[in-house]
Parts: sequence; C-alpha cells; structure tokens
Amino acid sequence: MSEVPEHPARLLRAYQAQEKRFVERRFPLEFAPEVPALRELYSQGKGLRWNPETDIAWERFDPTRYDGATREAASRTWSRRAWSVYPGLTESTALLIRFCLESGSLGMDAKLFLSFRPAEEAKHLEVCHMLAERFGGYAADPEEPGLARVSNHAFGQAALDRDLPVEAYIAALGALDDQLDLNLLVSHLQQAKDEVVRAALRLIAGDRARHVAFAWAFLGSRVPALDAHGRTAVVDAVCDLLSHVVLAGYRNTWLLPEKSREPWLSAEAETARHGLGASTPSQERGVLRATVAQVRERLAAWKLELPRVEHAELGTL
Amino acid sequence: MLIEKERTGAYVLEQRYPLPLASAMPDVWELWRRAKTLEWDPQTDIPWEELHPERYSAEQLLAAQMYWSRRTWGEYGAISESPALLLRFCLERRLPDLQFFFTMRTMEEGRHAEASWLMAERLGRYFPQPQNPPTAGAVGTHGVRRMAFDPETSLEGIFASLVCAAEEILIDVFKATVHKATNPAVRRLMELILRDEVRHIAFGWQCLDAWAPAFTRETVRNIESAVITMIENVEFRGYRNLWLAIEGGSATPAEIDADRISCEAGLGGNTPEDEMRVFPEFLKKIRERMAPWGVDIPMFDHPRLGKV
Repeated sequence: MSEVPEHPARLLRAYQAQEKRFVERRFPLEFAPEVPALRELYSQGKGLRWNPETDIAWERFDPTRYDGATREAASRTWSRRAWSVYPGLTESTALLIRFCLESGSLGMDAKLFLSFRPAEEAKHLEVCHMLAERFGGYAADPEEPGLARVSNHAFGQAALDRDLPVEAYIAALGALDDQLDLNLLVSHLQQAKDEVVRAALRLIAGDRARHVAFAWAFLGSRVPALDAHGRTAVVDAVCDLLSHVVLAGYRNTWLLPEKSREPWLSAEAETARHGLGASTPSQERGVLRATVAQVRERLAAWKLELPRVEHAELGTL
Repeated sequence: MLIEKERTGAYVLEQRYPLPLASAMPDVWELWRRAKTLEWDPQTDIPWEELHPERYSAEQLLAAQMYWSRRTWGEYGAISESPALLLRFCLERRLPDLQFFFTMRTMEEGRHAEASWLMAERLGRYFPQPQNPPTAGAVGTHGVRRMAFDPETSLEGIFASLVCAAEEILIDVFKATVHKATNPAVRRLMELILRDEVRHIAFGWQCLDAWAPAFTRETVRNIESAVITMIENVEFRGYRNLWLAIEGGSATPAEIDADRISCEAGLGGNTPEDEMRVFPEFLKKIRERMAPWGVDIPMFDHPRLGKV
C-alpha cells in the first residue's frame, strides 16, 4: 500500500522537481480583489453551483426509447467525453498550486476561482459517467492506442513549469482549448433533442463559459504588461496547442489518425442523429474554424498575431 | 514549448487508462455526495448584518482581527498545499472516490479562507502577515505539498498527520468553543466551517480504516513518525495557536493573547484553558483511534500542557 509503484513515482518526482524550482513567498498574503472581473467569476461560481444528481431530471430519462445500437453509440460518445474531462482535475489543480507558488501577494482572484474549478470538472465527469452508464455502460478504456495517446497530454506538468509563463499556459488551455470545448458543447446542445441530455449539456456549458471568461479576463489583466518574451510565449503556446493537440484530434474524433477514428466516429454520428449529445463532423468543422477565427481576433486586440496553420484535410486555418 | 517538453520526455506522461469512475468506497462516495448538497457562500450565508463591530472595544476588535487573519493564513495552506494530494491521487491512480471527494475539499477550503478573510475585514482589518516576519515560518506552512509530491513519503503518513491529526485538533477546539461565540455572524461561520471539516476528517479516518488491513510494519512506523512530526514541529510551533509555541518564537504578546481576548469577547478563538482541556483529550483520542492499527503515539512534554 505505502510503496509507490515505479511509474507514479516517476510522475511524482517530475512534479516534485518542478515545485522545487519555485521559492514560495507566502507573506504578505493578500486577499482583496485585484481584478474585479475575476472575483466576479468566482462569485458566480459560488452562486451557480449545481448538483449532477439532483439538478438533472434523471427520473425522466428513458434510454429504452432508443434502440440498442443507438444506446451503445451514446454510451461510447459519453465515455469518450468523460476521458476528455478527466484531465481537468489535475490541470486545474496544478494551475492553482502554480499561482500559490508564484506569490502570496498576487493572484488571489485566480486562486479562489481555481479552488472551485476541480470540483466543477469532477461534476462534469460525474455527469458524463452517469449518462454513459445509463445508455448501457461506461467504457473505462478506449482500447485503441492512437486515441489513448492523443487524449493524454502532460498539461498538469506544463502548468507547474516555471519556464512556461502562466499567461501562455492559460492562453493555450483556457483561451483556445476551453473556448473550443465550450463552442462544441453549445453545438451539441443545439443538436440535442433529449431533454435530460440537454439539461446536462446546458449545466456543463454554463460552467465552461465561466472558465473561458476567466481565461480571457485573466489575459486581459496580464497581457498588456507582458514583455516581448512573454508575448512570444503566449502566441507560441496557442499555436503549439492548435497544431499539435487540437488538430491531432484531442477534441474532435474526425481529426484523429484515420485508423484511430472508429468506433468513436460512427458512435458520434449516431449520437448526433438522435440528438443525444454530439454534432456531425461537418458541424464540428464549422465550430473549429469559427473558434480559431474568434481566438485569432481576440489575440489581435492585444497585437498578438496567431500564425496561420496548415492541415492536410482542412487546408489553411 | 508546450508540446516540445512532452516530446523530448522532459514531462512524464500519465498512464491514464483504464480510467475507472465508479465508486469503490461507498463511505467516501457518500461524503462526496453530501458535500454537493451542503455548499454555501461566505458572502450570502453568514448573517453579516448581525456582526455589529461597533459594539466591541478596540482591544477586542484587534484581537479578533488577528485571530481571523491567522485563520485565513491557515486555511490558505489548504488551497496552496493540500491540493497536491489530489494530484497524488490522480497520478497514483487511486480510487475515483478519493479524487472526486478531494475536489470538493479544495473548494471548501477556498471558501473557508475567503470567509475567514471576510470576517477579519468586516471586523475592521485583515492582517496580511504576522507582526514579526520570523513567525511566518511557524504559521506559514505545514509542509504537506512537499510531502505529497515525495514518493518516499507514505500517503498513509500524510493522511494520519494532516487529514486526521491536524484537522482533528482544529475541529475539536472549534467544537469545544463554538458555544462561546456569542456573536451570531461569528457563530454561524464557525458552524459552517465545522460542518465541512467534519467531512474532511471523516474522509481521512475512512481511508485509513480501509487501508489498515494492508499496513506493514513500515507503514505503521511512517504513520507514527508523521503524527509525531505534526505534533512537535507544527502544533508545538504554534501553527494553529501561537500560545502553544514551545519556543515562544517571535510572535508578539498581542498575537499570542489574541485568541483568548477574541474568545472572551464572543468573536471566535479559544483560551489557554480550552487548549489545556482539549489538547490532551485530542491526543488521547487519536492514540486510541490509531492503536488498533498497531500505531503507538508516545506521550509529549509541553511546558504549559505538561505531559500529554
């Protein structure tokens, strides 16, 4: 029980090494709001709390209305969504620790906001798990090495990496990835017909919208004061995430390597057809293009130029 | 940069699958479920309109401001340090119950920190640091983050020392003194914090009870060592109450006396007499609670508490 197996021990040592690169100055420990917009988002998080078990009308959910193939497809879709939500537990926790390590006197708005986020991610995870279970069974393993690899990144460690400015991390993971996730959730919601699935998507999207607002408000408070190195790091991190993570299929199954797409892609098509919480590849393509354009425009407001990215299927983005 | 270090192996990738999400520890899962139904908001769930700081003397207000500022620093440790335990649960692929519950714990500790800061502010002033800088060493950290990231430090030891011992004494003192908080806003805040903390401690004991059958002699020694360190190097250095600091440290007399004056004013805190009564009982309780696991917590000598 007490001996840590080899691989987790390596992971812990990696985090330990990163943590040791910081010299925490806890005092003075300031709590007063510095960025009112961030404190407001924290307040909204408290006020808009919800419970996956009681705020979704599960008693009205009747999976028997759908045939076996549709249920199986939906359970696959919601299992895959659970895998994509899970990293949020470690990533947002590591980011909270990063803010605390950087300063006791700065960033309390972000720290308070981030103290809530892991629990919000856990609620999303619980919803995905509950839906997958009710549709027929949650799958704990993709059993497809390509998908497993593409959906597993060391972003928790990146959050604690002193060499990566926190602004760059939040630009990539918050302004781009969370924004894309939010826009996809909204698209799924627009296609969803089942009232329980709609309620679940609406609740998750409500939290995610706050996470996205946090990223942009945080960047708004920090980017204008960044030096050239910091500004370059922001653009590079966003570009890196777009080119090597998003376009590799981190959020979109149709972007996975062709041999890794099934049975997930067919499952999403079936899920979308019955309005159970997915969009078609064509709809997702539109969402992705719109998101990249949106992120590019918003970064441009700070004179940060996100380079065009080439993709074999999508062309220039 | 974001991906380059992953590619070059500078970041270590998790082995994430299979990713089980179903409950495997029903008691801990129940704590997660309860936590979701008992959320509260420091801004709206405390009767701040009944605080009436104008009814207290300057000396009482100063003491209460110091007490609630100290509590803020302590609660901050639970958002700055303890979340590393959630990372450890995830990296070690511990049961989902632990991971789910601990996300709520982090949220609740953030709420406690905000609430304690608000209380100090609304009593007139929050102090962002101890009056003498060296005291920061005593009240600033319990070192859990470092322990959580250290694979050589056993998780059982961290649970026994932080999640059980350190939180248990905090709550024992709260329970023993909440009736003295005559101010309605202060009392409500103490009740709400207490309600959350009871779950946090239950979590620690439930996990250790579940793991106990697999404890080795080394695990038991780790637990003993961690609890002794927590008592001697954290509690007896004044982390929670400066009056307990054996060396006296650099805390000012006003800081040391703040808990008593605030308590006597009904504004939260506790007196040396409370500590004299509660601390030995607490030690006796955890000694008995851990004994069935083979854990032997020794007696401690303290200049004011005696042999406890």
